Amino acid sequence: MTASSGSENGGHEGEIVVERVTKRFGALAAVHDVSLTIPGGEFFSMLGPSGCGKTTTLRMIAGFEAPDRGRILLQGADVTAVPPAKRNVHMVFQAYGLFPHMTVAENIAFGPKIKKLGRGETGSRVAEVIHTVQLDGLEDRRPGQLSGGQQQRVALARALVNRPAALLLDEPLGALDLKLRKEMQLELKALQQRTGTTFVYVTHDQEEAMTMSDRIAVMNAGRVEQLATPRELYQRPATPFVAGFIGTSNLLELRIDRREQGLLVMDLGEGQRILATEQQDPKNGERLTVTVRPEWIKLTSVDAGGRASHVEGTVVDVVYLGSVTQLIVLLPTGEQLTVHKLNDEVGAEDPRPGQRVLLHWAAEHSYVVGSSPVPEPPGGGTAETPARAEAGS
Amino acid sequence: MAVTVGTLEPSRGRRRSGSGRGAFGILFTPVVLLLVLFLGPMVIMASMSLLRFPPNLSSGRTLQHYTDVLTNDLNWHIAWTTLSIASISMAIMLVIAIPLAYYMVFKARRWELFLLLSLVLADELAPVVKVYAWQVILGRNGIVNWLIPGPPKSFLLFSSFAVIVTLAATYITYTTIPIYAAMKAIDPSMFESAVDLGAGWWVQTRKILIPLAAPGIFIAMILVYIPMLTDFVTADIVGGTGSYMMGQRVRDLILSAGDWGAGSALNIIMLVVSVVFSLIAYRLARLNRIQT
Repeated sequence: MTASSGSENGGHEGEIVVERVTKRFGALAAVHDVSLTIPGGEFFSMLGPSGCGKTTTLRMIAGFEAPDRGRILLQGADVTAVPPAKRNVHMVFQAYGLFPHMTVAENIAFGPKIKKLGRGETGSRVAEVIHTVQLDGLEDRRPGQLSGGQQQRVALARALVNRPAALLLDEPLGALDLKLRKEMQLELKALQQRTGTTFVYVTHDQEEAMTMSDRIAVMNAGRVEQLATPRELYQRPATPFVAGFIGTSNLLELRIDRREQGLLVMDLGEGQRILATEQQDPKNGERLTVTVRPEWIKLTSVDAGGRASHVEGTVVDVVYLGSVTQLIVLLPTGEQLTVHKLNDEVGAEDPRPGQRVLLHWAAEHSYVVGSSPVPEPPGGGTAETPARAEAGS
Repeated sequence: MAVTVGTLEPSRGRRRSGSGRGAFGILFTPVVLLLVLFLGPMVIMASMSLLRFPPNLSSGRTLQHYTDVLTNDLNWHIAWTTLSIASISMAIMLVIAIPLAYYMVFKARRWELFLLLSLVLADELAPVVKVYAWQVILGRNGIVNWLIPGPPKSFLLFSSFAVIVTLAATYITYTTIPIYAAMKAIDPSMFESAVDLGAGWWVQTRKILIPLAAPGIFIAMILVYIPMLTDFVTADIVGGTGSYMMGQRVRDLILSAGDWGAGSALNIIMLVVSVVFSLIAYRLARLNRIQT
């Protein structure tokens, strides 16, 4: 059974299903019981630090690795045992894998020629896809004569010319400099929307994933931590890992002292409190990890009232970042909060280190990401910066 | 680059040019020695090929030796034998070296260094010893005849077959290493993308591996083909009457027949053919060098 036979089941066009897949390399479980359903036409990303199993999962979808357990379905057909060439998906490699001795046009025509599509069909497809990826006029160049971005486009065109049900991209922008990468991100997204092809995109760059993806699977240590839209991932991270990996985030330990109007309350004395919402029903005295984004915290001079966390702290550090000023504030609990104060007023003064500030944020903005008991009283460093998250990858 | 270095660190720039003079001083003696020892015999050989018989200073010059050599059917016959033996041997070596180099670069992993060292060590043996070893292997009571059932095969030794096999074994190192080096530069992801696009092993070999290894293949041919054309030790020890080669012919003309004129003329012609062949192969290797 080939992948293309699945396209007869109309509803599965471009759909990829990864079903309880496990892959071990020796003693190491690179991918552990991962299940994903990627509907046709979606821009889907797998995001995580290196070694999280995202590339292995992608290579299993492509057919370069065989899962130890589980199944992979393309357009409704089980392709677990089908070799890469017989699957109607194509991969774009980080190193591009362009053939340096062939021209751009020859590189792109490689697939159609092997499939014996015939001269006319091959020629028209190549011309069409060259136009799609905006390489017009460069047909006769060799890869060595192209810029990084152009080589990237050749790699895309070489895969797209085969009209795959899905395109699998393994950190395809990793070799490009930042500016070009940003341009290519938008271009890739536009290309995906233009062609309607399913894109499965692997990256360790959370910003890149956020920019392009319809949905993102955040992976860590061979498992999917959370599968959601970029907005959900940012606003409602399911685990401390996701909260730390996507954007800048404060992780606070919350001790439940009481409940009030469906909110979990931790009293800090002198009218100060931290609130959080939680659907489940944790016990009093239990400790939870909550996250709050730095830009959701407001500096204030008055008590904001009922449904808001309200806490006083000492400014430890002030960093002017342009559109925002980043404050590190030491709380009475001993934890540090990263606060982003929006600089929407020219001439407004920033607090100084040592100054006492009142902070408040809406109860809904403290989101419970885990109830795992944290033995050590957190001393600080709860703010995960993106730079730090990347350094771990 | 040089300008930057000069403006930022003038002292270093001066030191560099100083070391350039030093390098000239160091290289002067060997270069002169090389010129004398290499060009000297060549000049003598060339002048011998142009001297009228008997060879002395008052004999005068002639092109007679060249016309004699080129109109002698025996020489053409020997040239043909030499070319066939060298070509077949070269083909056998490429058939072995290309897959071997591929295996070393892409599949051998921790055995890569071991294989590389084996190849180099195999070449360290004295050539004459190696050729005699093949006499033992291919002889009437040798290893091959011992392994093959039935009466001993006589074509194995003192034949063109023996020369071809022994030459191939002698020069395999020089064939494999340049191809290995060329393949080292191939990004393995190229094969993965080829597989992804539907290429089987044959298409991968023909469209990707061979074209990208081509510079190494041409270099190997320069390194190996020419020594084979002039080789006489191998044919002397394991060859027979049917494998009389050009190297032997020149040696015999000069040392046995004392015909310096014909021997030198033949040698100069071989030199010209070799140079032309090398230039063609070099040009092909350069043409195939690919920017990445």
